[in-house]
Amino acid sequence: MSSKAMEETERVETKEEEEIWSWGAGTEGQLGTGKLQDEHHPQLIQYSLSSFCPISHLSCGGAHVIALTSGGRVLTWGRGTSGQLGHGEMVNCLHPKSLESLEGIFITHASAGWNHSGFVSDTGYVFTCGDGSFGQLGHGDYISRCSPEQLFHFKTRHVQQVACGMRHSLVLLKGDTEDLIYGFGSGKRGQLGISDDKQKLVSTPQVTLGFENVKIKSVTANGDHSAAISVNGHLYVWGRAFCRAPDVYRPRRVTTDLLFSQVALGWNHALVLTCDGEVYILGRYNYNVPTGAQNANMMKHISEDEGVMQRVLDFDSTKVGQIGAGAEHSALVTADNGSVMTWGWGEHGQLGLGDTNDQTGPQVVSLIDEQSRKPCVGRVYCGSGFTFVVRTHTVNSSF
Amino acid sequence: MSYDDVEIEDMEWNNELQAFTYPCPCGDMFQITKEELKIGEEIARCPSCSLYITVIYNMEDFLGDSKKHVEPSKQQPVAVA
Repeated sequence: MSSKAMEETERVETKEEEEIWSWGAGTEGQLGTGKLQDEHHPQLIQYSLSSFCPISHLSCGGAHVIALTSGGRVLTWGRGTSGQLGHGEMVNCLHPKSLESLEGIFITHASAGWNHSGFVSDTGYVFTCGDGSFGQLGHGDYISRCSPEQLFHFKTRHVQQVACGMRHSLVLLKGDTEDLIYGFGSGKRGQLGISDDKQKLVSTPQVTLGFENVKIKSVTANGDHSAAISVNGHLYVWGRAFCRAPDVYRPRRVTTDLLFSQVALGWNHALVLTCDGEVYILGRYNYNVPTGAQNANMMKHISEDEGVMQRVLDFDSTKVGQIGAGAEHSALVTADNGSVMTWGWGEHGQLGLGDTNDQTGPQVVSLIDEQSRKPCVGRVYCGSGFTFVVRTHTVNSSF
Repeated sequence: MSYDDVEIEDMEWNNELQAFTYPCPCGDMFQITKEELKIGEEIARCPSCSLYITVIYNMEDFLGDSKKHVEPSKQQPVAVA
């Protein structure tokens, strides 16, 4: 046997294996389990997705999910009664289903809103479908669509990202020019950031104000909130205010010395991840967890913004790798060992802790992994009342 | 504790449910019927969870001939394939 053949025979190959877990509200089929019920424990749904793996990105909306494969394909499932799944009909779908109308188009980014969806291709095209009754599809009308339709407003521009909230959408364009963020849909709470005055409904994309000479890395939308992070780590928020303050009609930079890498929006709170792996929270949960308990257990006031930004304390020594926010719950993945932690509203089991209790601080979710393979990298994605985790294991196998 | 205060004009009329609706953070919808509004009910409940919202509206708008009542100006979603 030649030495080259020996090398090949003994080579240790590393291969990645992916696990997908879901839990929480499930009565619209959004958990991808094939059942129409809430799950209080994490459910492994690898089987239904295994033929499409690996999954590169998930986005969870009000009650539907969009998954992107590393090959640029799109799968959707869950509530489809407004056309948000894009399969050409207005019905729910219990299992991940490939989006045929986008086949042949390499989708690199997607966002699931309350009842609408946005998709971005590698060539910079943006498509929307679902509920359009507030103009949130951006096609210049208030009509819902059950198949993704290209937004011709941006046909000569390169779209990088789309973010879908409850009744509005944001689009981030690629490039060094100005006018990089656009908004459309309901602007009643200032979430479009297009005017200093109240704008009710806008059905064609309008320029979001206040980003002159600012280069934006990412945009996020949920509920009536909007947020963006600049390439130099500054956080901007607009729309419905946190802590019952007046609504913010023009994007406002959060004044702090911290630098941020990610923001995740709920309906009354935002989680932000610093470049140092620390997590801070803006606003509070708006359900019946006493404010005092939240303050005492998990937060430390750090910002001059009227105490709206507070550090999640439990992580003094543990670095956080990624964060997610549902309407009224929060989740994170630790950077070192891929542990998933959740807290907030738990009535539908969206915390994955085996019960329906609320939690005022982060709790470890037990993702039972039979083979206990390590290391693993996890990513968490939250819908309104449910949660998904995608974990990738690196498996060594000798040949 | 009421989850939120929501103006009636921000709620959507749902023909199937025969109720005004607003998104609930659990994924379902808060609902209130015209009959409830007529008798002064201001709590819209979610059938799937314990949360409820307070609806801000003028009761007189819902009294008398229901045809006179001006429904939200938004048209019902129309499916376009």
